[in-house]
Amino acid sequence: MFRKFYLLYGFLVLGTAAFGQYRGWSLDTINQLKNIPKSVRDNPGSYRSVYGGYHHYTGGK
Amino acid sequence: MSTGAPPLSGPPKPQAKALNCPKCGAAIVLRSFGQAETVVCASCHCILDAKDPNLAILQQFEIETSDIRPLIPLGTRGKLRGTDYEVIGFERRSTQVDGITYCWHEYVLYNPYKGVGYLSEYNGHWNDISICKVLPTVDHNMFGGSSLTANYLGESYKHFQTADANTDFVLGEFPWQVRVGEKAAVTDYVHPPRVLSSEQLDQEVTWSIGEYMYGREIWETFKLPGRPPEAMGVYENQPSAVRTNVTGMWVAFAGFVVFLLALMSGFAMRAKKEPVFHETYRYNRADSKAEASFVTDVFELTGRTSTVEVKTYAPVSNHWIYLNYALINQDTGQAWDFGREVRYYYGYDSDGSWTEGKQNDDVVIPSVPPGHYYLRIEPEADPSLSGIPYTVDVTHDVPVYGIYGIAFLALLVPVIIISFRAYTFERSRWSESDHPPMQLSSSSGDDE
Amino acid sequence: MTQPVSNCPNCGAKIVFRWSSSVQTVCEFCKSILVRTDVDLKKVGQVADLPSDSSPIQINTEGKFGNKAFVVVGRILYEYDQGGWNEWHVMMNDGTSAWLSDAQNEYALSLSSKAQNLPAAAQVHIGQQFIWNNQPYTVSVITPAHYRGVEGELPFQYWDKTDVTFVDLRSESRKFATLDYSDPEPALYLGELVEFDDLKLKNLRSFAGW
Repeated sequence: MFRKFYLLYGFLVLGTAAFGQYRGWSLDTINQLKNIPKSVRDNPGSYRSVYGGYHHYTGGK
Repeated sequence: MSTGAPPLSGPPKPQAKALNCPKCGAAIVLRSFGQAETVVCASCHCILDAKDPNLAILQQFEIETSDIRPLIPLGTRGKLRGTDYEVIGFERRSTQVDGITYCWHEYVLYNPYKGVGYLSEYNGHWNDISICKVLPTVDHNMFGGSSLTANYLGESYKHFQTADANTDFVLGEFPWQVRVGEKAAVTDYVHPPRVLSSEQLDQEVTWSIGEYMYGREIWETFKLPGRPPEAMGVYENQPSAVRTNVTGMWVAFAGFVVFLLALMSGFAMRAKKEPVFHETYRYNRADSKAEASFVTDVFELTGRTSTVEVKTYAPVSNHWIYLNYALINQDTGQAWDFGREVRYYYGYDSDGSWTEGKQNDDVVIPSVPPGHYYLRIEPEADPSLSGIPYTVDVTHDVPVYGIYGIAFLALLVPVIIISFRAYTFERSRWSESDHPPMQLSSSSGDDE
Repeated sequence: MTQPVSNCPNCGAKIVFRWSSSVQTVCEFCKSILVRTDVDLKKVGQVADLPSDSSPIQINTEGKFGNKAFVVVGRILYEYDQGGWNEWHVMMNDGTSAWLSDAQNEYALSLSSKAQNLPAAAQVHIGQQFIWNNQPYTVSVITPAHYRGVEGELPFQYWDKTDVTFVDLRSESRKFATLDYSDPEPALYLGELVEFDDLKLKNLRSFAGW
C-alpha cells in the first residue's frame, strides 16, 4: 500500500522538478515589479523599488 | 441407501449432555459429543472426568480471584476459516520471566466435523491455532544448545522464546487431562504472521501452528458486544504492514534517482548557458556623493522563458560591497529587483588562518521571458573602501541544480521514515523475546 | 455389480452385501455377526451395542478421495488408554476396499499393501525408519489397543479380538503408514492424511444443534 503511494508521489516530485527546470525556476528570492517607466533609462536615480503597483512613485522623498 | 433393508434408525443423534456436578450439584454441559477428556464445574472448581458417566472428580483447585472471565463466553459460536466453531473451554496460563509473571488465555474450540481448534489471547493480541498434522523439522545447532530455526510446510521459523507455561485456571471442556498447576515447556518459533509452537507436557510433544488475528476480527467472528481489548506492544508474530513495503520502496527510490540523474543531465545539456552581458565597472567612494546608480546597455534574451544568472566579482579584501540590482525589461516595464553582497575577510588567530565569505556572488533570476533588458545598478560599499573595480556577468538559460537536490530529499525522506518505522516495529517485537536487540542507550534494565 | 442377497440365519431379516468381497457383516436388526461361507451366512457371534462416539461418519456416508468416489460400508471401533478411534471400511467405486480412519476428527485414508518382509511387533521401536514405494517412513507411535466393536461389512473376519498392536509411521509429507498386528501375520496399510473438506463427504451424521 505504501509502495503505491510512494510511486505516485515520486512521479509527482520528478514531474515537478522537470517542469521547474523547463520553466526556469530558481531557488533565489527575487522581488518582481511591474510598470517600470522608460524614463528610468535616462534618469536611473528615479528608480524606486516600490514601482510594483503604481506607475510612478507616490511616496515622500 | 441400502436397498431392501428395513428403515432402521442409525445410532442415536448425538446431543449435548446436561449433567450435574457430583460435588456441588451445579449443572454441567458437555458440548463436544464425547470428545472431551475433562470438564470443569464452574461453581466448585472441580475438574471432572468427562468420559465417566458419573463424572468422577479428578482435581479440585483454588482460585485467587473470582473475576477471571473468558472474553468469549463458553458456548459462543463463530465462523473461522469457513467453519463454525463453538467455544467449549477456557484456561489462563502464566509464565515467569525475570521474576515478572505474564498471563495469557487460551480457548478451546470445537466443530463436530473438523474437531478441536484453539485461540490464544495475550494483551489484546489473538492467534488462531491448530495442531500440526505434518511434523515440523527443527534445525539443530552444530554446537548443541537450543535450536534457532524450525521448518514447517516450506517456511522457516525463527526461535523466539522458550519458557515454562503454568496452567492457573480452567473452565469448560478440554480434550486432554488438564490439571491446574500443570507445567508445560513451550518453545515458540515465529514467521510473522504465523507462530510455530512446540509444547512438551510429561513425555508428549505437541506441535501447533498459529496465525495472528486482530481483536476486531475476533469480535466480528463471534459477534461480541463492545470493543476488543486494545493490543499493547508488538506481539511475537504480529504482522508488520510497514515492513513488507520497505524493500519495494528502496527499489522505487533507486529507480527515481536514476530518473532524476537522467533528467539532470538532459536539462544540463539542453541549457544554452549563453553569456549575454559582461562589463567591468569601478566603484569610487568619491562618486557616491552624486547619483551612484546607473543603467547598463541593453542586451537581448532570446528563446523561451528561462533563468538568468547574474555573477558579481570584486577583489575585496577585508571589505564588502553591496550592489542593488534591477533587471528591467525595456519593452514591458517588468523588473526583477534584488541586492547582492560581495564580502571577503581573512585573518590569523590562535587556531590558524581563517577566511570568511568570497570574492564573488551568484544569483539566478527565475522565469525571465525573452526580450530586451538592461540592468540598473546602484553600488554601495564599506566606508573604509575608497574604490574597487567589479565585474558583472549575465548568463541566459542556466540549469538550477538546487532543484534536483530538493527533489532528491523529497524522494528520500518518506523512505527513511518508513524504514525507521519498520525498524522500530521489529525492535519492539524482538525486545520481548529470548533474543532482544542490543540496547542503544546505556540506561537499560535488561540483563540479557 | 450384483449385490448378493441373503437372509439372517438368526432372525431372518434380509441382508444385502453392498460389496461383493465382504467376508463378514453385522445384521442390523439382531446384531448378530455373520460370516459368509460359500453357501450361506453363518452366525459366529453377537456384537454388543457400540458405545456412543462422536465420529461424524456413518454407514452409507459417501465421499471422494482424489477422483474416486467411495461409500462407507462398515467399521471397526478401537479403544486405547487415551481414547478411541474408528476405522471405517469404505468401498471405492472401482470395487476395491480402503479404510478411512477418524481419530478425534483427524482423517486418513489408507489401502492395504502387499509389502513383504514386514517386521514383527517386538522388532519395531520409535524412530525406526522404513522405506516402502521409495517413500521413507519413521515410526512415531506404538499403540496397544483393543477392539471395541464392529458394524456393517468387513473384508475379513473380525470379532472378539483382544489387545492388538498398531504402529503409526509418519513421513515429512501427508503420507503415513500403519503396521497392523491384529493377525499373526503383520499387515501394512499405506495411506495419506486428508482434510475433511477434501473428502467431500455427504450423508453424514447430524448433531443436535449443528
